[in-house]
Amino acid sequence: MGLPLPWPFERDYMQLALVVGLVIGTCAPLVGAFLVQKQMALMGEGIGHLAFAGVAAGLLLSISPLWTALGVAVVGALLVEWLRGRGKASGDLALALFFYGGIAAGAVFASRAAAEGISVNVMPYLFGSILTVSPEDVWVVAAIGTLIVACTLVAGRALLSVVLDDGAARVAGIPVDGLNALLAILTAVTIVAATRIVGVLLIAALMVLPVASSRLIARSFRTTIVGAAGIGALSTVIGLAAARMWGLAPGGAIVLVATGIFAIVAGITGTTRAGFSLPSHH
Amino acid sequence: MTAVLTADAVSFSYGREPAIDSVSLSIEPGEFVALVGPNGSGKTTLLRVLLGLVRPQRGTVTVLGEDPRELRDRGRVGYVPQRHRLDPELPVTVAELVATGRLARRGWWRRFNTEDHEAIDHAIDAVALSGVRKRPVAELSGGQQQRVMIARALASNPDLLVLDEPVAGVDAESQRLVRDSLGHIVRELAAAVLLVSHELGAVADDLDRVIVLKRSVLFDGPPDELAARGVSLGIHASDLPLWLEDLG
Ligand SMILES: Nc1ncnc2c1ncn2[C@@H]1O[C@H](COP(=O)(O)OP(=O)(O)O)[C@@H](O)[C@H]1O
Ligand SMILES: [Mg+2]
Repeated sequence: MGLPLPWPFERDYMQLALVVGLVIGTCAPLVGAFLVQKQMALMGEGIGHLAFAGVAAGLLLSISPLWTALGVAVVGALLVEWLRGRGKASGDLALALFFYGGIAAGAVFASRAAAEGISVNVMPYLFGSILTVSPEDVWVVAAIGTLIVACTLVAGRALLSVVLDDGAARVAGIPVDGLNALLAILTAVTIVAATRIVGVLLIAALMVLPVASSRLIARSFRTTIVGAAGIGALSTVIGLAAARMWGLAPGGAIVLVATGIFAIVAGITGTTRAGFSLPSHH
Repeated sequence: MTAVLTADAVSFSYGREPAIDSVSLSIEPGEFVALVGPNGSGKTTLLRVLLGLVRPQRGTVTVLGEDPRELRDRGRVGYVPQRHRLDPELPVTVAELVATGRLARRGWWRRFNTEDHEAIDHAIDAVALSGVRKRPVAELSGGQQQRVMIARALASNPDLLVLDEPVAGVDAESQRLVRDSLGHIVRELAAAVLLVSHELGAVADDLDRVIVLKRSVLFDGPPDELAARGVSLGIHASDLPLWLEDLG
């Protein structure tokens, strides 16, 4: 990219990671804000596990793992939403099914690939890597980021109304099922976009933690969302710098920063507000 | 003028026992109708059927002349569901919450224009909450929150407003404010109102009609006729089953 940025972002590969990281850091909490409010904070977690199965399947089949991850994640997210919407399974149980199924399938595929002599390094997909971002990734992630921001701008208020009270939303003619499906797809897409930098196991944290912090300070839904996006972006920049400095997995570093920010905000606001509660996971 | 709402021999059951059985009713434009009945008598179920949220097993419903499930102009119906708890940790302001009610009129994907913002402000005024429009809803009292829900339903300028026990479980002062708002809405907006409530004393003067429901309609007529049968409108939830027996 060759941007004149100071250390630790002076190198090309760090600049690619920075751009992708900023987009992900900003967009993940936008999607996360609605998941948290729907008490589906663990949705990201479950879909992340599924994406891992997709990655491993791609490695096994020698197809680009990100595309297989995207396919599996989108289909899985829609299935979870469908099960939940029909009341066939509680949100928790539907997710647990995918959680364990995903990680187990991933383990099976990855070990199978290794047995067939394909060199398999799943670590970067699990916890992120700053070295693997390619210039094409930047374009894909930028397109995904634009999609998420556009959806939030256009459908944000309608999504809020669904989250608040879906009976009233239905009477108001809002396509509740369609918007729930949209949210599921955006979740899947965000997770796959974040695979390079944050990894599938930690992306859910980046969707949820900035929202948890922002909710403690914000006094409107708009400022909650904007604040969460800002905190997400900040966490990503600091996390990437730390990853470079100390040779860390960036996913871990970014999420630790987001966790630290939450601890600080909670400390400052004196929050035991509702018992120091993270968004509840039901 | 055609009725804003009709039900013709509507039945619905969740299991084997019907929750509502062969209910027929009709509401004219601008009418203020109260629906009363003991707990579990099927009031909420009837509203959900009337609004098209569930499909009746038998009978037909029309809202503004159409099947409620295929109603095109959604803004013409406002709904205040039976009190449900708002997430106390959700930072959403009064204005933001009321604005979601405007989506029915504007179209959920469209940007709001001046008219929309005026309608939202007007709805907040109508329930006397202008002073707190930028405050998080979670910080308001139960009664104020209930008025926020009414304002949300008003924001689309409905021709029919349906409220499910809007004053249950709120303090007396808030009950009075809710009722005052309702009286005001009925007179000013000329919307038809279908109000489910246990206690009708304070709105009795404004009411055009009372419908007593206990799985099927036990009484449907003006409040003074109900009173002439020896039933006071000041009755409270706990008294209802007693005097309903007299009607049956
Ligand atoms: N979702 C449901 N599933 C099964 N039974 C229900 C459901 N909702 C209500 N009921 C039953 O239907 C009857 C009518 O309930 P409801 O319409 O809520 O009455 P009301 O609003 O007058 O208190 C009650 O016996 C209630 O237990
Ligand atoms: Mg009820």
